[in-house]
Amino acid sequence: MRSRGLLGIILAASVYAGANDTMLIRNATVHPVSGPKQENVSVLVVDGKIAEVGAKIATKGKIKIVEGKGLHVYPGMIDSGSPVGMSEISSVRETTDTGELGDFNPQLRALIAVNPESEHIPVVRANGITSVMVLPGSMGGRGGGGGSIISGQVSMIHLDGWTWEEMEIKRDAALQLVWPAIASRGRGATDDDLPPALAARRMTFAQAKRNQEEEVRKLKEFVEAARRYQKAKAGKEPGLKPDLKFEAMLPVLDGKRPIMVLASREREIREAVDWAERERLKIVLANVREPGKMTEELARKKIPVILGSPFTTPIDDDAAYDEPFTLAALLNKAGVKIAFASFGTQFARNLPYEAGQSVAFGLPYDEALKSVTLNAAEIWGVADQYGSIEPGKWADLVVTDGDLLEVKTNVKMMFIKGAPVDLESKHTKLYKKYLARP
Amino acid sequence: MRQRIFVLTLLACAFIPLQAEVPSLVAIQDARIVTVSGAVIEKGTVVLKDGIIADVGPSAAVPAGAWVVDGKGLTVYPGLIDAFSTWGLPEAPVQVSAAGGRGAQASATPGQTAPPRSRGPEDRPGTNSWVMAADLVKNTERRVTLAHGGGFTTAVTFPRQGLVGGHGAVVNLGGETSGAMIVEPDAGLYMSTTPSGYLGYPNSLMGVLAYFRQLWIDANYYKMAKEMYAKSPQTIPRPAYDRALEGVLSTKRVLLPAAGPVQMERMVKLGKELQTSVVLWGVTEGYRMADELKKSGTPVVLNVKWPTRERDRDPDLIDTMKVLEHRDKAPTAPIVLAKAGVKFAVSSDGLDAPKDILKALKKSIDMGLPKEAAIRALTLSAAEIYGVDQRMGSIDKGKMANLVVVKGDLFDERLTIAMIFVDGVKYLPPPDPPQTPGGNAGGNRPSTVDQEEN
Repeated sequence: MRSRGLLGIILAASVYAGANDTMLIRNATVHPVSGPKQENVSVLVVDGKIAEVGAKIATKGKIKIVEGKGLHVYPGMIDSGSPVGMSEISSVRETTDTGELGDFNPQLRALIAVNPESEHIPVVRANGITSVMVLPGSMGGRGGGGGSIISGQVSMIHLDGWTWEEMEIKRDAALQLVWPAIASRGRGATDDDLPPALAARRMTFAQAKRNQEEEVRKLKEFVEAARRYQKAKAGKEPGLKPDLKFEAMLPVLDGKRPIMVLASREREIREAVDWAERERLKIVLANVREPGKMTEELARKKIPVILGSPFTTPIDDDAAYDEPFTLAALLNKAGVKIAFASFGTQFARNLPYEAGQSVAFGLPYDEALKSVTLNAAEIWGVADQYGSIEPGKWADLVVTDGDLLEVKTNVKMMFIKGAPVDLESKHTKLYKKYLARP
Repeated sequence: MRQRIFVLTLLACAFIPLQAEVPSLVAIQDARIVTVSGAVIEKGTVVLKDGIIADVGPSAAVPAGAWVVDGKGLTVYPGLIDAFSTWGLPEAPVQVSAAGGRGAQASATPGQTAPPRSRGPEDRPGTNSWVMAADLVKNTERRVTLAHGGGFTTAVTFPRQGLVGGHGAVVNLGGETSGAMIVEPDAGLYMSTTPSGYLGYPNSLMGVLAYFRQLWIDANYYKMAKEMYAKSPQTIPRPAYDRALEGVLSTKRVLLPAAGPVQMERMVKLGKELQTSVVLWGVTEGYRMADELKKSGTPVVLNVKWPTRERDRDPDLIDTMKVLEHRDKAPTAPIVLAKAGVKFAVSSDGLDAPKDILKALKKSIDMGLPKEAAIRALTLSAAEIYGVDQRMGSIDKGKMANLVVVKGDLFDERLTIAMIFVDGVKYLPPPDPPQTPGGNAGGNRPSTVDQEEN
């Protein structure tokens, strides 16, 4: 009793309030990402923010010490697109909040639908991912119905918090748009491969093209209508009825908020880029898989690209087996800023390996590390607060026993805004359970 | 009395207008004769009498009273045979119960629109084994005369609805009555392994094959029960009549689909299991299966609709190597099969115009197929496959007077058919149908264009 009182006095006497989000990580290898790695240095975190990084840090009074000997400190990783928190089991409709109907839903906010109790969150976190761009809509596959063109506002969240309010980093970080693609028929497959009932339902190319052109026309009309609304509002037009859809479009029209455009292949990318240029809109391309001849143009126009998982087969049968593995290196070499996303829930935890695999196939290591941290923060407009280990930024930190992008590495500790985060997940619970099986 | 004779004469005239034009005795003189069974006769005479080839040879005599055709510049071939066809059958699908059914009582009753989904082999899904093409063929059907334009006198035509479509028939393309066209009412049972697609059991290849096995087991059991009953009707209960099984038991052979080597192996094995002889149809990858086919001794009917690049397709899609290779090699199938000594015939399946079969084979000839092999596939080989080679397929004394008479050669760039004879009756080829852009005369099939044209 007495000693506890004494401890209280000592803490009170120190400059640091003794809160959960203040500490000194000592003698670790720090990877600031914004600069070269520093060995045997310490990181001082005060009130959740990084105060200092250096070999000798003078602390004022008592402070929580985290021993970092033999460990590495990285900024927390950012997954640039995932339905984590929005979708629990994709095939169970009741657990999925990404399927709103209608072509244009810019007024929808992913943030308010995030379920902080999602089982996916601790699993993703356990591999060093502290933040996610939560997608309000599905990944596309449009053409003939299903899914929206504008699905809503993508929100950046922390993977920790009791409520979605606590998880918020940036509620309207981007607008999600699925660029309409011409969906005639699959590659390789012929009508002979299908039962007659399905073969008959297939669209001709001409028909699919007409459908796609119709969708693009609708999109143009919607933006046009939003501009009229913007003008009317600026002109304080009497009797203007507030419209949530158009209100949500205003920051986009001003170019203040980027549009995350999902477009996989050269044709869709070209159309989206041309459209954005005509409309003077700021875009970030996402789920790019075959940029083809558009690569140089993306670099020239400084349009960032969000890549999905390279752990997939190429779209074309005859493409090189490593086409998805080398895509990141190819874009980086051309000068395109890249970031990685999982675009999924159950494999979001593999984000560091997406970057790691790309290193094995030509992406410079430093760039790979940036693509899951600082590049993402820059692309989504939060680089002043996140993405690297620099004084003044929030202390979203991952402490590991090795290279962050390496599969064999274990995440030992995680801090979000300086506060320690539980690394238990369904996986670790099951691991322990079955380890103890008699 | 006198009046009655007059009426009878009139009736006779009304019923046989074609034979009224051409006498039943015809001699084609001084023509080039491709007999197929033997050497080509550079200058000879064919004599047709009452629908049968009465004589053929370089020095065959022209009988007195014969209608003589001057054969200079003409070549006479046996009438061509489309060995896997639907010509002569009504183009709208034959209305049969989609669920198939056990016994005569299971046929689709009028007014009952949607047949119940089949849930197992006991429902006899897609089984129409009692359907006979011979019962359905019509001499007035559009394609019967159109076929003459390609030099075809005969089609082996199959009802094709469901998994077991029914019995095909060897049909001569022309006749006073529909019945007169039938050469052989049971050419074999058409079978398909493509499930209907979510319309009930079976919905997978696995299910289809299991179903075929069950159907044959049922048929053999039924046969045994009938035999036992026939021996002692006094003591054994009478087995129920089952038209589906009757249809299976009565067939001489089955026609099974095989596109490539895997399906081929599977179907040959199935044929052994069912203890029935097999003719493979389709065989679009025939160029990859020659040795295996030769070894198994299975005859095939080649689909000669060579794959082409679709006209209406995404210009940004690049064809895969696999597709390109197939497109490149498909027309070599007859060459490879001929070289290996596999018995093969050809089919109009999927082609819009009868002439297209000849054009398709011309492509193979240009790639190295001996012309004799092409002609044999169109004539004698087809007759042999269906067991009618004693009666047709070559120009020999005693065979059916099915002939095609061509100016020049059958595979000339512009085929000019002078006349054709079906059962000794002369027909002139129909005028070419007007060329529609895309050549899509066959209905809703995707239009195609040759690779080279792109």
